[in-house]
Amino acid sequence: MTLGLYVHVPFCETKCPYCDFNTYAAIESLMPGYVDAVANEITQWGAWLKHPALTSLFFGGGTPSYLPTRDIAKLMRAIYAAYDLPSDTEVTLEANPGDCSRERLQAIRRTGVNRLSIGVQSFDDNELRLLGRRHSVDQAIAAVRSARVAGFDNLSIDLMFGLPYQFAASWAHSLEEAVALEVEHISAYALTLEGGTPMEADVAGGHLPEIDPDIAAEMYNMTCETLAAAGYEQYEISNWSKPGLQSIHNLTYWRNESWLGVGPGAHGTIAHGPGAFSALPEQGVRFVDIKPPRAYIERAMAWRSGGALTADTLAGAGAIDTIELTTQAIAMGETMMMGLRLNVGVSDASFRQRFGVGIADAFPNAVNDCLKDGLLEWVGERLRLTDDLRPLGNEAFGRFIAEAMG
Amino acid sequence: MIGEMDPRRIRNFCIIAHIDHGKSTLADRMLEITGTVTPREMQEQLLDSLDIERERGITIKAQAVRMPFIYSDGNDYELNLIDTPGHVDFTYEVSRSLAACEGAILIVDATQGIQAQTLANVYLAMEHDLEIIPIVNKIDLPSADVPRVIAEMTAAFGFEADEVLAVSAKDGSGVIDLLNAVVDRVPAPKDNHDLPLRALIFDSKYDTYKGVLAYVRVIDGSVTSNDRIRMMATDTQAEVLEVGAFKPTMMKVPGLDAGEVGYIATGLKSVGECRVGDTITLARNGATDSLPGYGEQKPMVFAGLYPTEGVDFHELREALERLQMNDASLVYQPENSAALGPGFRCGFLGLLHMEIVQERLEREYDMDLVVTAPSVVYRVVMADASVIEVSRPTDLPNPSLLDQIEEPWLDVSVLTPSRFVGPMMELINARRGVFKRTEYLDSSGARAAGTESMPSSDPRVVIEAQLPMAEVLVDFYDQIKTRSKGYASLDYTFTGFYPAALVRLDILVAGQLVDALSLITHKDRAYYQGKALVAALRKLIPRQMFEVPIQAAVGSNIIARETVHAMRKNVLAKCYGGDISRKRKLLEKQAEGKKRMKRIGRVEVPQEAFLAILKMER
Ligand SMILES: Nc1nc2c(ncn2[C@@H]2O[C@H](COP(=O)(O)OP(=O)(O)OP(=O)(O)O)[C@@H](O)[C@H]2O)c(=O)[nH]1
Ligand code: SF4
Ligand SMILES: [Mg+2]
Repeated sequence: MTLGLYVHVPFCETKCPYCDFNTYAAIESLMPGYVDAVANEITQWGAWLKHPALTSLFFGGGTPSYLPTRDIAKLMRAIYAAYDLPSDTEVTLEANPGDCSRERLQAIRRTGVNRLSIGVQSFDDNELRLLGRRHSVDQAIAAVRSARVAGFDNLSIDLMFGLPYQFAASWAHSLEEAVALEVEHISAYALTLEGGTPMEADVAGGHLPEIDPDIAAEMYNMTCETLAAAGYEQYEISNWSKPGLQSIHNLTYWRNESWLGVGPGAHGTIAHGPGAFSALPEQGVRFVDIKPPRAYIERAMAWRSGGALTADTLAGAGAIDTIELTTQAIAMGETMMMGLRLNVGVSDASFRQRFGVGIADAFPNAVNDCLKDGLLEWVGERLRLTDDLRPLGNEAFGRFIAEAMG
Repeated sequence: MIGEMDPRRIRNFCIIAHIDHGKSTLADRMLEITGTVTPREMQEQLLDSLDIERERGITIKAQAVRMPFIYSDGNDYELNLIDTPGHVDFTYEVSRSLAACEGAILIVDATQGIQAQTLANVYLAMEHDLEIIPIVNKIDLPSADVPRVIAEMTAAFGFEADEVLAVSAKDGSGVIDLLNAVVDRVPAPKDNHDLPLRALIFDSKYDTYKGVLAYVRVIDGSVTSNDRIRMMATDTQAEVLEVGAFKPTMMKVPGLDAGEVGYIATGLKSVGECRVGDTITLARNGATDSLPGYGEQKPMVFAGLYPTEGVDFHELREALERLQMNDASLVYQPENSAALGPGFRCGFLGLLHMEIVQERLEREYDMDLVVTAPSVVYRVVMADASVIEVSRPTDLPNPSLLDQIEEPWLDVSVLTPSRFVGPMMELINARRGVFKRTEYLDSSGARAAGTESMPSSDPRVVIEAQLPMAEVLVDFYDQIKTRSKGYASLDYTFTGFYPAALVRLDILVAGQLVDALSLITHKDRAYYQGKALVAALRKLIPRQMFEVPIQAAVGSNIIARETVHAMRKNVLAKCYGGDISRKRKLLEKQAEGKKRMKRIGRVEVPQEAFLAILKMER
């Protein structure tokens, strides 16, 4: 059974203007309290689920690399104590290139982290400045080299395209540089302007040019071509890897399986299905920790788990702020929405095993319309986005969700 | 006498003016000064009670209110005031109010001078033989030019300079003098209370508990509760549940006497039985002749109202029924569109009225609607000499069956500083207008130095012309404002039907004719309009998964074409920390949004597209 663990680190040295994550600059004074609180949350979850095995571990944020090494070590110790963590488990930590000196990375490697996801974003200093990133291109390249020296043999970098003022040529350049670094994994995301962020306000106010969706589409095609030519396999809409080196943790999300989320605003899911925690409703449950760091620390610190794990006890547990019980229809819709992001698509057999009904019976209209419009295709018993229309994935997801809404 | 007041101590008057010259604000001050409302109850434009009125700061419905007033000689008086709307769409509300009064306060804004509706309203008041009290308002503003505006008023209407009172409705100065002048100058109503009851219905409203409330001016006789009354035109009888006055909320009174203004609760279930303009008399020993009513208010503009996917046709019918109970000028009948399904063809007084009805349906009844392009009514003379009226482009008969099509024309007057006469004339020409004459608003008595808004060297001119109503309907008013930097104003009345070379312009979306987008247009303009319309539609229809051609056609000739290119990218970005619910909710919202669109074949068309004609560039 799959069970991931996501640890949310809400600290950033500076806040980037496009970012609407639950992260904060200038609350470093909360770090010690936060570390103790998360450690407790980790411990209490482990005890409640009776020392379960983890299939992946992910430190995300925020900027986990901004945490002092001893704090990372402290969290790793709590995790080892409370869960079964086989030695080959994927343990990823998101790192800012500015934090990646060789010494730092060596120390982090020794805590048990075996995979880094480095927030490179761009190989153009002007673009980095526009994005409000605190690192430079040179630092990004140096970070990857240091990581190798520090013994990381599984590296991922994040890139962004479709930026204001970005031209195809500069994106081609970023892709080239990325390929030259020979990392195992590349994520490339189109910038989305989230409501309430300074960058969105700048675009709305005419201080930054609007992003041309056709140019972004062009860049996306370039990404697919360039990375494929360099030996990367696309396995998800925005993710590429060398063969066999996909992100195990992120696959948990896309397969709509179970993971625990700890830290302020972290999301977790105990998915529907046989073998899950049987006292929970059959259709599974999603839960979110309270967002403000101070409130989080207080509640996570005070948590003592125990008793049966039911929807009711979960709702009041630890730092959990909201829970959402998933209905069969929603669970099926979400499984399609997430699963179709993967190039392999969704297996009808596993869908049927999980929900007791085949995809085409659960979503007759969505499946039919998408097949007719060339958005989806059957490859054997798997339903997947066609290569041609993958960039229009939302159109397909939307139809499944609409049908799930009834 | 049943009423509370000797008729000699009653004054009935209304406030008339061009839009925004301060009618409702003046009413506020009067309510305050007479103590009709307490300072705690006071709020700006108190009589504007609809949400839309308050939000837009304009009056849509005339409002009556009864105020007690102690005249300068110490005697008690009863003043019945009716605040009226200034926008030309609602001119009929003004004329109805005038019939309930003996006097009118005419406001002119001291910073703007006489405007088009000022002229129109003065003539209306004169037709009703009302005593007019002219005032200049907003004298507190630095840009006010009182002497000049007074000169303009004396020159244009023949008032004596010392008849005109200077007032600030904002700070209240001059308002007490004005109230005294109302008592002095407005004649008391005739004391006809021995005659059989005749009460003029000047407005009506539906109340869930009391049925239809008739807002009346009692001309002869008197009425009390429990009287049995008869509506003379419809010959409907009813028991009076209650009579009352507006103070300004509705308050029960023992009775209403000749000369008074108030309401009669009839218990009737349909406003149709108690029509505005009808005369109420007693069922027994009633009057034999009804009062002169109002000319029937005919809708000028028609448009289709269709429910979007989420809205039920029957719910829409119910909402329209209820809205009509308080807005007799709204007419509707069911119609069917091939593209949009079942809906209603509705008639409005003008575009503002249409906008307001739509907004009220959306806000008060929570409806999502598609509104189609507004159209005027055409008279079609068939080959066999029979005449039909067509307000829906697709109803236009085959050209071979008809003899001629006639379109409605308006008498238009544009009041403008003379420096904008050129641009105004150009506009009138461009809209197929026929110029009649210009006249200078003589203000030779004015002082030499002008203000910024009214340079004295630049006299003002009334341009009179005739234009097809269809040409005035769409953005003519905005053009008048733009081309005159906001100084010119507009008024119009319907004159008659005249033949014209008209054709139907059709729109095809992805090869499919969309009846709801068709329009009737002048033959010479079809090409240009077709181009503008498809260009506007291209911007309004979102990109779909496939290319969508948009074509304009007259008969079987395609005269313009645009393409909405296929969408190339639409994927959600990073799924941060596994926030899957948020992703799902985004898609759910999108799905809701799609529900609000209309599907034409495979193409999803948003509501706004059906009003593209209003957004197109000329
Ligand atoms: N400074 C100043 N402003 C005034 C005065 N009278 C009215 N106003 C302002 O002029 C604007 C229009 O006033 P209204 O009372 O709504 O005008 P109206 O004539 O009732 O307008 P419609 O009902 O839309 O025709 C408002 O912003 C008022 O505050 C005044 O004496 N002085
Ligand atoms: S570093 Fe990452 S998490 Fe922090 S503000 Fe920037 S984008 Fe957001
Ligand atoms: Mg008003």
